[in-house]
Amino acid sequence: MNLNKTCFIFGLRCIFGCLISSAASAGFDSSGASFSVTSSAGSGTLVNVPTQITPTAWSNTGSWTGTNASVTWANDIQGWNSTTSAGFTNGNIVIRNNTSAAQDFNVTIAMLGNATGPLVAAGSVGGQYVNGSASLGSLTSTGALWSAGIDGATVNTQLNNALFFAQPFQVVSLGSFSFNNLAMNSITDRASILFSLRLSAGGEASFTSAFSFQAVPGPASLALIGFLPIVRSRRRG
Amino acid sequence: MKNTITVVCALFSLGSATIESRADFIPPGFLFRVFESGVSSGGEACNFGSVDQVSATEWFFQGKHSNTTGTSMSWSYLVDPDPFITGTFSLTNDTLLAKSYVVDFSLPISPAIAQSTVSGQMAGTLTDSNGSGSASMTSTSGGAVYTALADEMLVQSLMSNANQTVSSAFGTTSFSGGSFGQGLPPLAGPAINSTIGIRFSFTLSAGDSVSFSSIFVANPVPTPGALAMGLLSGLAARRGRRRTD
Repeated sequence: MNLNKTCFIFGLRCIFGCLISSAASAGFDSSGASFSVTSSAGSGTLVNVPTQITPTAWSNTGSWTGTNASVTWANDIQGWNSTTSAGFTNGNIVIRNNTSAAQDFNVTIAMLGNATGPLVAAGSVGGQYVNGSASLGSLTSTGALWSAGIDGATVNTQLNNALFFAQPFQVVSLGSFSFNNLAMNSITDRASILFSLRLSAGGEASFTSAFSFQAVPGPASLALIGFLPIVRSRRRG
Repeated sequence: MKNTITVVCALFSLGSATIESRADFIPPGFLFRVFESGVSSGGEACNFGSVDQVSATEWFFQGKHSNTTGTSMSWSYLVDPDPFITGTFSLTNDTLLAKSYVVDFSLPISPAIAQSTVSGQMAGTLTDSNGSGSASMTSTSGGAVYTALADEMLVQSLMSNANQTVSSAFGTTSFSGGSFGQGLPPLAGPAINSTIGIRFSFTLSAGDSVSFSSIFVANPVPTPGALAMGLLSGLAARRGRRRTD
C-alpha cells in the first residue's frame, strides 16, 4: 500500500517536473529589445541603453532625436520567467513636436524572442497631452493610437481614432484603457507595442503602457489539477 | 538620509558644444534635482541629456538616467525664461521597497517680475510596472504632489492628500491633478525676482512607475505706465490712419 502511494506521488512529481521544465525552456530572450521611430519631422538619431535589473528583466532607456522633434523612453522588458511563466514590456514614453507644423510619429517597442503557446495576454495604456504652444493644440490618430502585436500581426488596439484638443499651455489627461485574458498562440518572433499619432506644433504626448503574456495551463496540467483531490483522498484513506 | 542627484542641464554636452560655436546660444540654467529617502545613491553623473533652442526664447531639455539606487528617470521639458515651464517627467522605482521622492525643477527668469499672474496644471499616470497586481502613488505625509514655486516659495499646490492606486497586473490609471489660474480673472501671483519652479513630492510603491505632465506659467501684470503707453500708441496709430485717409 505504501509502495503504491510512493509510486503514484513520484509519478505525479515527474509529470509536474516535465511541465515546469517545458515552460521554462520556452525561452524569451530577455535582453532582446528593438526600438524604432519614424516621423514626418524627418530622420533622427536613436540611442537605447539596456541595463539588467534582474536575471530576466532589463531596463531600457533611450531616445530618438530629430530636428525639433524627439521621443524618449524608459521601458522595462522581462523575458520568459521560469517562475511565473510570463513576459512583459512596459514603461513610459514621451513624444515631443517642437516644429512649427503638425507631425506624425510612429514608435515601436518590441520584445524579441519566442514563447510556446497557448498564452494569455493583457495590456494597458494611459497618458497625458500637453499643449506647449500659444495656439489651440491637438493630438489625433488615424486608426489606433496604441496597438499590441505578435509577430507583426495586431492583436489588440486602444485609443482608436483618438482626438484630443488642448488650449494653449494646458494639460489633458487621456484616460486609461486596458484589456486582459486575450488568448494567443505561440510567439515565434516578437511581441510589440506601436504608438501611431499626430501632434500639432508645440505638442507633447506622454504614455505609460504595458503588454504582458503568460502561459495557459495545458490539458495535462488541468488533468493534474483534477488528480489532486484523488491524491488527497488516497492519503486520507 | 537624503540623497541628491543634481542635473545641471546647461552643462549637457550637446549644449556645451554649441555654446562654443555660437555666442548668442546661452541656454538657461534649468535645474533638475531628485531627492530620495533612505538609500545611498553613491554619487551620480550629471552629464546626461540634451538641450536645444526651439525659438528665440524657448529651450527644450530632455534626458534619461538610471541611478545606482534603483530609480530610473526620464524628462522632457520646454522652458522659457520669460517665463514658463512645461513638460513631462517619468520615474520608475525599480527597488523592492516603496520610496519617497522629491523632484525639483527650477528655472532662472529674466527679467524679474514686479507683479505677476500665475497659472498651472498637472495630470499623470500610474502603472503597475512589475506586474505585482498593485501600484500606488500617494502624497508624502499628506502634502501636495505638485507645488508651484517662485523664488523657492510656494505659490500654489495641487493634489493634496493624493492616493492613486492600480489593482490589476500591469494596469494603468490616469489622473487629472487639477489646475489653477486658467480662468478669468487671472490669478494674482507674487513678485518674482530670480526663479520659478515646480516641485513634485510623492511616495511610489516598489517596482512601479509614475509619469507627470505639468505646466507653470507666470506673466507680468502690466504696470500703469505700460498701460498708458499702450493707450497712447493706439491713439497715435488711429491719428495716423485718419491723416492717411
